[in-house]
Amino acid sequence: MQRETRIANFVLGALSALSLLLLSLPLSTPVRSFKAATGYLLDPLAYHGEAGYARLAGAPERTRRLLQADIENEALRAELRQGQWVKTTVEALSLENERLRRSLALKAPGSRSPAWAHVMERDPVHWYRSLVVDAGADRGVSLNDPVLGPRGGQLVAVGRVVDVREKTAIVLLLTDEGASVASYLSSGTLEGLVQGQDGPRLRMNYLNAEVQLSTGDSAYTSPTSATFPPDVLIGRVARVNPRDPFLTFQSVEIEPAADASSLQELMILRAKAPEGEAKPPAYVPPPAPQHAAAPEPAPAEVAVSTAAAKPRRRKAAPVETPAAPAPALDPEAAR
Amino acid sequence: MISALRGLILFVLAMLGQWWWNTHFSYWGAAPQFLLALTVLIAARRGPVAGMLIGFGWGLYLDVARAELFGASALVLTLAAYFVGVARRQIDLRAVGPLAATTFLFTYAAFLGHGLLGLVFTKSFESPGWMPLLLTPVLNAVAVTVAAVVWDARGER
Repeated sequence: MQRETRIANFVLGALSALSLLLLSLPLSTPVRSFKAATGYLLDPLAYHGEAGYARLAGAPERTRRLLQADIENEALRAELRQGQWVKTTVEALSLENERLRRSLALKAPGSRSPAWAHVMERDPVHWYRSLVVDAGADRGVSLNDPVLGPRGGQLVAVGRVVDVREKTAIVLLLTDEGASVASYLSSGTLEGLVQGQDGPRLRMNYLNAEVQLSTGDSAYTSPTSATFPPDVLIGRVARVNPRDPFLTFQSVEIEPAADASSLQELMILRAKAPEGEAKPPAYVPPPAPQHAAAPEPAPAEVAVSTAAAKPRRRKAAPVETPAAPAPALDPEAAR
Repeated sequence: MISALRGLILFVLAMLGQWWWNTHFSYWGAAPQFLLALTVLIAARRGPVAGMLIGFGWGLYLDVARAELFGASALVLTLAAYFVGVARRQIDLRAVGPLAATTFLFTYAAFLGHGLLGLVFTKSFESPGWMPLLLTPVLNAVAVTVAAVVWDARGER
């Protein structure tokens, strides 16, 4: 105990002397140096402590801003998704508008009353057979009405109506195996019967066996067609089939002008417009395709086409359209 | 070695805690003087020599932040540790109650010591102000009580 007291007294004396020295000579060089050294050692404590405290003190605010940023991020993401949907809608409408503009510039052939319809549905299994449009009996669509489609600034043959419902109708495409239409080739007076093959191409049969055929010719609907108005483009000859010595005619493969997979709007040439709808405008003769003489009648086109129609709900006699020159229709009136 | 390292860490942490509380949680100048309270505790538990050495170091740290009277806090804490060492021969400072009471009294003694040193060396009595005069001794007593409880809970002698 005595030793501890002595040591304590000694330490007290030393430290007190040192303290009093520091207090007595605050401006002396040794004291100032000692103070500077002490400050050099201990000041970082407060400096770094303050920096650390500032970091810790800023943490709630930063957390709040982070949460706020997250909330804003979610809101902006939702807005962006909405914007993308709006953009997609606008693009779709723009494309539709473009298609409709092009379609409105077209001239509808024939004396019939045209009506535009949207493609609602396609046969998922048999892509080349039929499709459903959103115009039916309520808009004056009737059985065997010819259906045309826009392609490159003109109307081309697509098919005909085989089933009419209240607000929809089924269109049998030309590519269906049971579809056929009397037609002629633009290079001459050759008449034939274009028939579907349940595939992307058509087949034109009953062409004169003695004539030289070539690819690239255009096939148009014949004036003898019972369904279509004359001079409507069907497609182009893609391949001339080899001659069969057992047959008395030639055949070619036709690449259809209307691509069934890309059709969006169709023009149905109705026998007559429903009451209250604007009548077709005055007749304007369209530019006639190049064929020199009157075509020969196509064999059994009417019989084949009506038999292939197989109406599902009600049957009607095929509408015999006059082979009159095609009048042009005002697109606005057509709508 | 580990004990010395732990002691050094505690030495630095105590200064950091003193600075942090005084800077950010001081109420009208009233804040617990952790360094004084811990000096009293160390002197009571480990003896006056350890208390004086540590108190002197902490006092220098407190003095560094002052414009005048460099060495006053070091002297006050050294004297506090010494007199606690004297007092523990008469009073059982292992108990929390006497320790808190001693700290309470020594806080006033420290105020008085600072005032007298100011009076001697700068010709002005350094008054801590009413709020520290009323609250700081209580806060120091609470601080030393908490520190003693933690000390005892850790099984330190």
